[in-house]
Amino acid sequence: MPAPTTTTKDAPEPGADAAESTPRARRRRRRVTDENGRRMPMWELLLRYALLLVVLAVMIGPFLWQLSTSLKGPHENIFSSPPSFLPSDPTLHNYERVADTIPVWDYALNSLKVAAANVFTNCVGAALAGYALARLRYRGRKAATLVFILAMLVPVEGIIIAQFTTMRDLDLNNTLIGVLLPGCISALNVLLMRNAFLNLPYEVEEAAFVDGANVWQRFFRIALPAVKGTLAVVAIFAFMGAWDDFLWPLIVLSDPDKFTLTIGLNYLHGTFANDERLVAAGTVIAVLPLIVLFACLQRYFFRGVGEGAVKG
Amino acid sequence: MKSTAAASASATAGPPGPPVKARPSGTPKAAAPQGRRIRRQLVTSPWLFAAPGLAIVGIFILYPFVSTVINSFTDKRQLIEGKYVGLANFRELLHDDMFWIGLRNSTLYVLVVVPALVVLPLLLALLVQKQIPGITFFRSAFYTPVVASIVVVGLIWVWMLDERGLVNAVLEAVGAGKVGFLSDQWLLLFSAMGVTVWKGLGYYMIIYLAALANVPRELHEAAAVDGAGPVRRFISVTVPAVRSTMVLVAALSSVAAFKVFSEVYLMAGPAGGPAGEDTTLVMLVQRTGTGLTGRVGYASAISVVIFVVTVALMLLVLRADRKEDK
Amino acid sequence: MRVYQSSRISRSSRISRSSRSPRRAVTAAALAAALLGLSACGGGDDSGSADASGKVEGEITFQTWNLKANFKSYFEGLVDDFEKKYPDAKVKWVDQPGEGYADKISADAAGGTLPDVVNVSPDLVAPLAKAGLALDLDKSAGKYEKEYLPGAWKSHQVPGMEGTYAFPWYLNTGPLFYNKRLFKDAGLDANKPPKTYDELFTDAEALAKKSKGDVATLANVPTIEDFGRYGVPLMNKEGTGFTFNGAKGVELLTKYKELYDAKALDGQALTATPESTGKKFLTEAVAMNPGSALDLEKFKKDAPRLYENIGITPQISNTGKDNMYVMGVMVNTRTKRTPAAVAFAHFVTDAQRQMSFAKKVAIFPSTKGSLDDPYFTKADGTDETRVRIAAAKSLKTAVNYTPVLFSEQMKVELRNAVARALQGKQSPEEALDNAVKACDRLLKQS
Repeated sequence: MPAPTTTTKDAPEPGADAAESTPRARRRRRRVTDENGRRMPMWELLLRYALLLVVLAVMIGPFLWQLSTSLKGPHENIFSSPPSFLPSDPTLHNYERVADTIPVWDYALNSLKVAAANVFTNCVGAALAGYALARLRYRGRKAATLVFILAMLVPVEGIIIAQFTTMRDLDLNNTLIGVLLPGCISALNVLLMRNAFLNLPYEVEEAAFVDGANVWQRFFRIALPAVKGTLAVVAIFAFMGAWDDFLWPLIVLSDPDKFTLTIGLNYLHGTFANDERLVAAGTVIAVLPLIVLFACLQRYFFRGVGEGAVKG
Repeated sequence: MKSTAAASASATAGPPGPPVKARPSGTPKAAAPQGRRIRRQLVTSPWLFAAPGLAIVGIFILYPFVSTVINSFTDKRQLIEGKYVGLANFRELLHDDMFWIGLRNSTLYVLVVVPALVVLPLLLALLVQKQIPGITFFRSAFYTPVVASIVVVGLIWVWMLDERGLVNAVLEAVGAGKVGFLSDQWLLLFSAMGVTVWKGLGYYMIIYLAALANVPRELHEAAAVDGAGPVRRFISVTVPAVRSTMVLVAALSSVAAFKVFSEVYLMAGPAGGPAGEDTTLVMLVQRTGTGLTGRVGYASAISVVIFVVTVALMLLVLRADRKEDK
Repeated sequence: MRVYQSSRISRSSRISRSSRSPRRAVTAAALAAALLGLSACGGGDDSGSADASGKVEGEITFQTWNLKANFKSYFEGLVDDFEKKYPDAKVKWVDQPGEGYADKISADAAGGTLPDVVNVSPDLVAPLAKAGLALDLDKSAGKYEKEYLPGAWKSHQVPGMEGTYAFPWYLNTGPLFYNKRLFKDAGLDANKPPKTYDELFTDAEALAKKSKGDVATLANVPTIEDFGRYGVPLMNKEGTGFTFNGAKGVELLTKYKELYDAKALDGQALTATPESTGKKFLTEAVAMNPGSALDLEKFKKDAPRLYENIGITPQISNTGKDNMYVMGVMVNTRTKRTPAAVAFAHFVTDAQRQMSFAKKVAIFPSTKGSLDDPYFTKADGTDETRVRIAAAKSLKTAVNYTPVLFSEQMKVELRNAVARALQGKQSPEEALDNAVKACDRLLKQS
């Protein structure tokens, strides 16, 4: 067994720091810069930074280019060759035009409601189900796991109308709840939580059990805090999923007052198909909240991936 | 395709989310014998715990899918009820050129994207593994494409690769001349693959990073003492140590790549590039099955084929994984 | 902006390929299901009455297709006027975005939540009529037929079915723009643009030869409308099979293949979108492009040099009849408020309302006599008016060439067949034969 438990016995957040600062990693970090003559050679350090910068340009460049395009005024040539990376006369004009055309803020608020609810339901629902799959012994556990795995493999393209009919039968079409429901506990997130719980050592819970804690107490007080990182992963996926979704809200919602941002931004296509600046502004509006959210959660996030399924 | 939040992560060709390793044999071994006592006591709460998840997934994913499977044996249309036609849809598939084009492209996607996503993120992980100053920034920055929505990513790259976009402007500035990334059948498909890899890099990098943290340092030191250079150590120490992670990444990325939709749809257009030559299987489902004249029965048959192939890919992983254990 | 752009054209663009569309082959606007559709028709199969003669009362929902962004006040005013005229009726207006319109409608149709009054195009009406969801206006509102241009009224009839399934709404057509400088450079008479396809092919070859392949004349592959304008019979009389693989069709495609090989048809035509061809025309890489009066503004602003040399000419046609697009307004058979729904659908499309809508944007009314209004006949010296007058004139004889039964899937079949022929993978004959076979199969299944 590749040791899931080596670092976890003594750590309150088992495995959480695997990627960055397990004792081992910390030791390694000291080695990079320490004075025992084992310092990383200067040329290697420079080479590393050079490579890092190249990769950085490839990964971030396209976003910056989009941002730059969205800030260029109507009279600046966006097709120039060689390209100019900085807007000569930065303006928020394009964003104003987007806001003039569609009620961006109302739509963003709807999106935010759905996304926030989606984060909540996914975190709670997936944690509960994941815990059951990982920790609790009961008949049908394997079958339940299989249900989630199969659900993950279903190609959704083919089932959207069936989903809509179901929603209509429940009288939930044209509501934000209808938008939320199909994805509110996703199979992927359940399996993610299952794996995180699987990687927790039993010993801690065992001690609580001996102390008379019941299953809910153990779940809330011991197991859940130990998988904070994975919860952050789930939260980000849930937020992304809800924030980015287009086709499903479009099908379910009829009432423009309830539209989410992705549907709203779509009004831009027909209307301003030829203006790259506006399309760029629209994409920036769509993507910025995600980047901000990620920046806030990234510490937990990297931990989460560390404690997630990879080990074990 | 991000049709529903539930499906979003699993159905795009990008990273499918932190991998889920089904490992039936793992837990009991680690958990025994103390764990058994905990478990014995629990009879009702497990179902209570799992119920919401099972209900949602059952009602909104599996039930519609079951009706899809049933539909695949009918000639149902979008607005017209179908009747049972046996295997006619599947027989028709065999003679449908577009189906074979889709199968070719989806398979090609797996063959190109998967090796890239197995190897490149590992190299990237090695690059950001060392704790040098500023490394956290680089790690987060490399992860940004994963966070951005595929629709936005598609728009960004369509604009980048446009005949008058940034890439061609740069190519022209250095005198290389314009390249029609978005008009040639193969360039289109490979551009889309490039975008998939670009979006997936950061994601798998993190997974490898976590796996690398578990590689015992002693192995590297022993190899270094034996006089092995960095390349040699990579091949003889690192690769074997993260092999099970590589298998996992290969499996998950192949399932996702086989179901690719958004990247190709956004870049090649709904018709799938010139003469539809860039159509993938999921695009074909979308094209034949939706709209007012959609052939639900036929599209369902394609969905079933996709499902069977992805299950097969998944089983392949589990087998490789089990072998690894022995 | 333009109804033209946002609804009909961006829709046809999606058939081909729209780099800007995150989703779905089909496009545009609106659903409203909303209160009535949802609660009253909640049961799904209880259908309303086809009798439109009762009292105009109750709440109905009206759905448009990507019109809110630019015409909000127009529609709000229209709803107010209607409610003033019929105090017992209430109209809830909803608008849907451009993307995914057909998916939205089909989900609502399948789920029983289709709004009472829906903005449609002929190809959307056909499947809805077949499914029994579109009210036959010949029966329920036949008395209004005489108010509309005969061609427009007929455009929402479905071959193989009795009846007319939507009120004709606005019409659209546009001229062809051409670049006089490029024509002159090629030694052609810039004041004699091509009128027929033969002239077009000759000029295109000359342009390509003179510029050594740098200047293409056309940026789009031939669509079903081109086949129609070329004089190819598209469908048999009974509406049971397609015929565009006949000698004339093969001739047209063979000609396009020659143009493609000579670079007179742009090399990227196979993946072109209206946006991309627009850009090519703007940058003077392509000599001709279809457009509307509104494009002139854009030329003036973004490409002054092009604007100086802009030529405007009617669509290329061998039949003497231009192509037009038709929008319609249909009534849901399941509506509980048939009299109100029919009255409102007629209200939206009557001469007065269409005229005032036409004055807001470059579209044309489908009501009898409206095109004789001075607005469409009197020149005022501006290019915009000139374009409008020419278009209005051509509309009197224009035809909606796209067969009502030609679905999105069939458009893809044709487009792919054309591409295969242009690439030389199949002969034009073989490609068209295959396309017809595929379309016939789809037709039988629709």
